[in-house]
This record gives sequence, structure tokens and C-alpha cells, in this order.
Amino acid sequence: MRFQIDENELWLLSFYRTSEIGGALFFGRLARSMKEGPNQADMTRHFADEAQHAWYWTDCIERLGAHPLKLTDGYQDQYASTAGLPVNLMEVLALTQVFEGRVINQYARHQRAPGIHATVAETLGRIMEDEKWHLEWVRRALGEMEPEYGRERIDETIRRFREADEQVYRQTVNEHEQRIAHLTTVLARAREEDPDGR
Amino acid sequence: MADSRTVKQQMAKLLRQPVECLADEARLIDVVADSLVLVETVIELQEHFGVRLVQDDVRSVVTVGELARLFSGERRSSTSCP
Repeated sequence: MRFQIDENELWLLSFYRTSEIGGALFFGRLARSMKEGPNQADMTRHFADEAQHAWYWTDCIERLGAHPLKLTDGYQDQYASTAGLPVNLMEVLALTQVFEGRVINQYARHQRAPGIHATVAETLGRIMEDEKWHLEWVRRALGEMEPEYGRERIDETIRRFREADEQVYRQTVNEHEQRIAHLTTVLARAREEDPDGR
Repeated sequence: MADSRTVKQQMAKLLRQPVECLADEARLIDVVADSLVLVETVIELQEHFGVRLVQDDVRSVVTVGELARLFSGERRSSTSCP
């Protein structure tokens, strides 16, 4: 089969796939070690979604006539050096809320890229539906943790991870500028329209 | 309150490594497969020992011995869970 995507797009889709695998492995490990209760069930579903998304990207790339690139690090691997590792479930969820918001924004903007292949657009759409639920359950779980950690501490943790996310995102964009050049015009336009990135 | 040796035994169990491999001076990044395993280990240790940590507690932790001492109460700023 002939390749239907160029080298840069293949890299970007492979990067998405690697990040989804990273999320699945992380949430899978947490789901295994969590106490019984609603958060355990939601974390398990979240882990299953991330694994499914990794498959969606693999399938998408294969349908476009290519094979996913083997990449070592996903987006979330860069958080540790910037914001420090989360050390409790509240911090994990605060980081997840920030990260999932970033994923939805990135996928939504990619969907608006001119000339996007229909298979890529379809895959982005499928994944974004799940991502909305991820944000919902994480927000609810964080709300339920208020008596234990306090609203102020939770907000401060989210703020800290959001600052780290901004930094990691800027670094990622700078590092891979050429590979995502076809998206940067769309991103710049989106930022003008919505400076807060919501 | 657990002593450092007990904490290291639990760490060894979680990391599936002999406790002899967890020398006090060993760097955590050298004994865990990746940072996600470290997050999971720290969370599981809190569950096991009934301790709650915040990021400030672990910010300067580099070695196995330093992490173990957090759970034996020698360096922790937060309190044990009731």
C-alpha cells in the first residue's frame, strides 16, 4: 500500500500513540494498586480507554499505509523534570486534569488542520469523546478529595502542574518545530481566537 | 512507626527486587524502571504505612535511604494518617 501521510505526520501520530501507551501503563499500574471504590472503577476505565486509544492510533497509521514509529518518550514523560513527580492520588489526578485538557486542545486543533486526512480526523473524533469523560471523572474525584486535602491545596497543585504543562508544551513545540509546522498555523490562529486555550 | 529496614523490605517487594539491591546510597532513578514506577511505589508505600506525603516531602529525595527515612518519620514534614 502507498503511504498516505508524510514523514512529519507519521511522527506526530506515532507521538500521540506513544503518549497514549504511556498513559495506559501509568493508569493501569495505579488501577491495580488502588483501594476498592468508585475511583478504582473509573481509573480502570480510564486505563482501558488509553490502551484503546493507542490501538486506534496504531490502526489509523496502518490504514494510512505506514507503521508506527518507535519513539521512546511521550509527552507526559517530560513533566517529571519540570514539575516533579506526583506523590499522592490527588496530585496524580491534578496532573491528569491538566494533561487531559492539553490533549483535548491539541486533538481539537489538529482536527482543524487544513487538508487533514479523513482517517486521522475520524480517529481524533473518537478519542476526544472519551477524553471528555476523563475530564469529568477526574474533576469529580478531585472535588470529593476536598475534605481530605483542602480546596486551596488542590487548586495550588493544579496551578503548579498547569505552569509545568505550559513549559513542557513550549519545549515540545520548539523541539519538534519542523515536524509540526503544518499545525502551527492552525495553532497560532486558534490562540488568537482563544488566548486561554479553552 | 516502621524502621528504615522494614520500609526497604516493602520497597523491595513492590519493586520485585531483593532488598540487598536497595542500598541506602543507591539512587532511586537507578533502581526503578521509570518514573511511573516510582510514583506507584511512593503511593503504595503511603497506603501500606498509613502515611500521607506531599510533594515538598519528596522534592529533595534522591536515594533509597532518603525515601525509606521519609516513611520511618525521620525527614517528613506532614503527619501520619489517623
